[in-house]
Amino acid sequence: MTSQASIEKYLPLTEATYYIMLALVEPLHGYGVMQKVEEISGGAVKIGPGTLYGAFTLLEKEGLIIKTKEEDRRKSYTLTSKGKSVLLSQIRRLGTMSRNGLAVLSRLI
Amino acid sequence: MRKTITKFRWFWAWQDETEEHWLGEMSKKGFHLLSVGIPGIYTFSVAEPKEYVYRLDFQNFTRKDKQEYMQIFQDAGWEHIGQISAWQYFRKEVGKGTETEIFTDIPSRIAKYRRALVFMGLMFVLLSIILSERILSANPYTWWDVIKIIYLLIIAFIMFSIIKLVLRIRRLRQL
Repeated sequence: MTSQASIEKYLPLTEATYYIMLALVEPLHGYGVMQKVEEISGGAVKIGPGTLYGAFTLLEKEGLIIKTKEEDRRKSYTLTSKGKSVLLSQIRRLGTMSRNGLAVLSRLI
Repeated sequence: MRKTITKFRWFWAWQDETEEHWLGEMSKKGFHLLSVGIPGIYTFSVAEPKEYVYRLDFQNFTRKDKQEYMQIFQDAGWEHIGQISAWQYFRKEVGKGTETEIFTDIPSRIAKYRRALVFMGLMFVLLSIILSERILSANPYTWWDVIKIIYLLIIAFIMFSIIKLVLRIRRLRQL
């Protein structure tokens, strides 16, 4: 059982964490995540190995991702249900922010 | 036989960027970092000048975690040269469009200095305990005062490092 408060405390996610979690809707290992993030962001977001490893450690410790496979020295991770809830809340929040921004857009340009 | 040179240089915990820059400049002159290990001693191989980018991370871990960590860096094109204390030395050859950063955002850079800070904090506590015990105990050697001064100097160095690291983190937070 994950309460709304226990989810909200992770928000807002940093841009890097957000994209890493987006990539982990399917199991991926470290380098796979780096490639996927670059792909889904159209090359706009790049994640360095130091940033990625730090995010993996933290997200796993917080129970937002879980190890799925260990191949040679590469470990794959994917989102837990708690991780999915956190990501969903973040997407909703971004959606609201984006709508609110679009509402004033015409007055900016 | 491979030609090598050895250099002596002190490296402060908050000066990792200076260290990275220095190693890059050495490579431009044809001296490529071959191994590190003992603080202050650097071995370079002598070869053709090359454009290398050097990057440092601070990580302490178990052997199993280390494998995963090294694999991620290796897959991203980074070569691990060695470590001094828990400072991990990586390098990559620079070409067109090469990704030259291992940390791509401010929060993860802050987290690196935090790890170094925690480590320094532990060292400080540990050495303080040893020192207070030593000072309180009876004087067993004639060169006792020398040891005492060395201990105090080390603790002062660590305190200085802690302050500098805190300032470094604070400056990054303001960005």
